[in-house]
Amino acid sequence: MSILEDLLGIGGTAAGLALAAKGYEDVGDIGREAFERMSTGFTDDSGQFTPGLAGMLEERFEFQPYTVTTATGGQFGMTQDPETGQMTYDIQTSPEEQNLQEEQLRRAESFFNLAETDTTQREQDIYNRMRAAQAPEEERQRLALEQRLANQGRLGVRTSMFGGTPEQLALAQAQEEAKNRAMLSALEFAGQEQQRQAQLGTGMLAAGYVPQAQLLSGLQPGITAAEQRRQALAQQAGAFGETYATGLEALLQSALGQANIAGGVGGSIATQSLGGLFS
Amino acid sequence: MAQQLNSINLVAPAFKGINTEDSPLAQDPSFAEVADNAVIDRRGRIAARKGLSVTTTNKTQLGSGKVRGIKEFINDAGTTKIFSVGNNKILSGTTTLADETPGGYSISADNWKMVNFNDSVYFFQRGLQPLIYNTVASGSSGGANSSVVTLSSVNSAAGLTSAKYGNEVLAAYGRLWTADFSTDKSTIYWSDLLSGHIWTGGSSGSLDISQVWPDGYDEIVALAAHNNHLIIFGKRSIVVYSGATAPASMTLADTVSGVGCVDRDTVQYTGTDVIFLSQTGLKSFGRTIQEKSMPISNLSSTITKDIIALLSSETEFFRSVYYPEENFYLLTFTGHNTTFCFDIRGTLENGAYRATRWTGTGFTAYERKDNGTLLIGGLHGLGSYAGYLDNSETYRFRYTSPELTFGDTTKLKFLKKLRPVIVGGSGANIFLKWAYDFKSKSGTSDITLATQAKAFFNESEFNIGQFSKGEFVTTGLDVNANGSGGSVSIDLQADINGEELSLQEINVLATVGRTI
Repeated sequence: MSILEDLLGIGGTAAGLALAAKGYEDVGDIGREAFERMSTGFTDDSGQFTPGLAGMLEERFEFQPYTVTTATGGQFGMTQDPETGQMTYDIQTSPEEQNLQEEQLRRAESFFNLAETDTTQREQDIYNRMRAAQAPEEERQRLALEQRLANQGRLGVRTSMFGGTPEQLALAQAQEEAKNRAMLSALEFAGQEQQRQAQLGTGMLAAGYVPQAQLLSGLQPGITAAEQRRQALAQQAGAFGETYATGLEALLQSALGQANIAGGVGGSIATQSLGGLFS
Repeated sequence: MAQQLNSINLVAPAFKGINTEDSPLAQDPSFAEVADNAVIDRRGRIAARKGLSVTTTNKTQLGSGKVRGIKEFINDAGTTKIFSVGNNKILSGTTTLADETPGGYSISADNWKMVNFNDSVYFFQRGLQPLIYNTVASGSSGGANSSVVTLSSVNSAAGLTSAKYGNEVLAAYGRLWTADFSTDKSTIYWSDLLSGHIWTGGSSGSLDISQVWPDGYDEIVALAAHNNHLIIFGKRSIVVYSGATAPASMTLADTVSGVGCVDRDTVQYTGTDVIFLSQTGLKSFGRTIQEKSMPISNLSSTITKDIIALLSSETEFFRSVYYPEENFYLLTFTGHNTTFCFDIRGTLENGAYRATRWTGTGFTAYERKDNGTLLIGGLHGLGSYAGYLDNSETYRFRYTSPELTFGDTTKLKFLKKLRPVIVGGSGANIFLKWAYDFKSKSGTSDITLATQAKAFFNESEFNIGQFSKGEFVTTGLDVNANGSGGSVSIDLQADINGEELSLQEINVLATVGRTI
């Protein structure tokens, strides 16, 4: 073998090695590029930056604020602080509903206050009203008895057994019994009224939350629609990522293939070149 | 020329009693102008009343006072005791008057009303605490008391305040009723049932009738019970309540205005009627069938003015008694010492009772005992209506006819003879007096009746008393009369000295002369 040949063998070995080294380096570059394209982004040789798939997916999967408005004007909104990422959920009834709610709560408070009040005075008031209703008839009965006793010459009767006449005692007893019944009725009525006020307060309180409940009920379809949209976006992002990754993979496979080719060629050259030297 | 004698036969003269109200010229000879110390006897003749047989022998406790009230107490055991009041004392007994006044109890008047009630006798007088005498060891009258005690001191007594010290008390319908208080003239209190000492609690009570008086105002004077009615006498009106057995529910049944009662002691029960003295004379409630109303009849319409004159000037007490044994009602004006005797067997055409007058009797209290004896109180203590002497002294019977005109007021009458027919009066002096023209001129004559034996034989035949006291008629008395006048009245007087005397008839013989 000639020197030239020797020189050519040495040169081929060196070129093969260089080519293999370059294939080796390309594989590393391809891996780095694959990483960068999948994560932080990749800047090509021309200096163009291509965002990474993770970043793009992050953008695509990012929360989308939305607001649901009911037919009565109530609103439900979900927002995210762009800086802190803290989520904010706003439920906002309409002014009319708000007014209704406040009124109902005020009324409920009023009824609860009434229910909480000592019933003694109320019992007395009820008793007085009942007695006021009974008084005219009692007065008529008293006058009739007085007239009857006067006609019978008995207005001046005083007895140890009855106080006055038996009829006067009977009337007085009837009136006292009426008073007793009125008193007991007043007690019972006041208790029932207290219970009724508590029930009314409870009802008013519950009614006060009806707009909110209705708002929440009205939001459900909106939330569902937003969720569906969000899922659709997620699916789109997923499909995009998969597609993007597939493209990258194909790109990387291609690059790997090129690198493998270069490396294989370089290795073959080097092997052959080396084989010539040492043959 | 001789004139024919006209005979006027006054048969049973004055059997209709006194009549001072009708015109004397037009009067029926059956009336009398005067009938003193007389009664209508059992045969309808005017007769001398009975006298006073004094029973009391020891009237030391009475002193110079008079018996002003008498009450016979009888309990269920049959025990009797005679209470009387006088000389500001409560007395008992008939022969010896014992002082029964509670110790330390001061009496200022003798106008007591005494009633028997539930084995007790109660004494009521205005302003003084009522007294009680009770022999029952136990029971509803507070237990036995051996003497008269104050009502508030008995066991279980209650409610007897000074406001209930009434002047009138009535025992009726199982209770005591009292009224006529010192300051309250319109209220009636009633006691608990069967308990005259309990005036509060139980079924006791009161009735103020100040708004019931038909004339607007009156004052209660007396109470009476009649046919389940409570009769309340005012001075000028009467109020009647029905259903008094249950006083709490009794009702006004009737009112009478313009007629009242003068005094509680003039009210008497005759069994079918209630008699009382009003300002216009003696009245009665007539009992109607259905008791729906109580018409009042005047029982003294023949002597109304006489009664009014006496009652308006009476200064002491009124006393009365109904005595069925003699069929009379006595009404005494003690201040005037005059008694009217009303025969209650029947009424005259005008509805009046036949009335006679008792004068100068000194009777101041009456009580009909359960045995039919009429007790009479007076200065001498107690006595009975019996015999024909007043405490052993004679009394004068007097009859005066109305003016007799023999049917013609225009003719002169010349009395010729008076021929009285007298029943009884053995040995009595009879004074006959005739007067013409309203007593402008008169003449008198006296006769003495023969003394007559009382019994036909005064011995029993076959040991059987067949004959008792007889009735002797004195006839054939001829008294020559004189004088003349347009009208004539006949007066007959007799001193009653232990013998009964009745005037059967007077035959008046007269001639009728010229026209006046």
